[in-house]
Amino acid sequence: MTAAALDPLIHVPARLQIMAALATLPDGDQLSFKRLQDMLELTPGNLITHLRKLEEAGYLATSKTGSGPASRTSVALTYDGRHALDIYATTLRGLLNGV
Amino acid sequence: MEPGEAARLLAQTQAHSRRSLDFRAPWVSLVAAAVALVGFGIVWLNVRNQHPFTGPSPVSLVVFYGLIALRIATVIYARARARAGVSGHSVKVQREEAVVMGGVLLVWYVMLIAIASSGQHDAGFDWSLGLSGTLIVLAVLWAGRCAIHKSWREVALTVPVGLIAAVGAIAGPRGMWLVNGVGLCVLLLMIAALGNWQRRGTRTHLVRTGA
Repeated sequence: MTAAALDPLIHVPARLQIMAALATLPDGDQLSFKRLQDMLELTPGNLITHLRKLEEAGYLATSKTGSGPASRTSVALTYDGRHALDIYATTLRGLLNGV
Repeated sequence: MEPGEAARLLAQTQAHSRRSLDFRAPWVSLVAAAVALVGFGIVWLNVRNQHPFTGPSPVSLVVFYGLIALRIATVIYARARARAGVSGHSVKVQREEAVVMGGVLLVWYVMLIAIASSGQHDAGFDWSLGLSGTLIVLAVLWAGRCAIHKSWREVALTVPVGLIAAVGAIAGPRGMWLVNGVGLCVLLLMIAALGNWQRRGTRTHLVRTGA
């Protein structure tokens, strides 16, 4: 097995960090865009780009509440996203153990 | 990105996120330990030579409840900081749990006031029930809440709280303040040390797997 077996969508440092951070939340919880940005120390533009790619793949869902300057965007992993991260971590362990 | 680097990044991000979202930092336990020792200690110094026991003075009670208010304020502050930006199911559940626990405590205190105002018991009984009984009620409530969430480690931590309160009740209305103060302080220091050790353990694990 080679590194090519890893999900290419997750196997990018920023996207792996986003998935890993969101996976620590319990099912049904969401994290605000601002808090996620603070936790990962990514620029807003960079974070939006990676979030869009993960959302297009169905790995995460975003929701917006409120309007105007008070609006808030929240992000959460979907069932498919958690499953994809589990598979990624299992594959990674296999690679590190030389399977 | 090499697999080793990816594994390190995954573990590091998850550990950092868990720490960041968890309000039970060692400093919160250290503040609680200091509050327990000083708060109970002040009341114990006030009542230790009372023969017969008449109860703590209003001044010592103001200091005691002031320190408890400080403890509650630090928890609220730490929690608000750690959970900023988090919304969803668990937040709603925690609010509902807080309302239920508040309701149970309110009923408990109404019952205590009713018992004390009936005048059928001496001050020693009323204060033993008020202090040790309240600690046992809190421990049982928290154990029930943690059992529902299957947090067995936290359930286990409520056992020594109940034991300390029970030993305090045996020690009598004067000694219970010392037993509870020292007992809770030692327990909270152990929890702070355990939390710190676990954080260090995570860092060591990351260094070992970090490539």
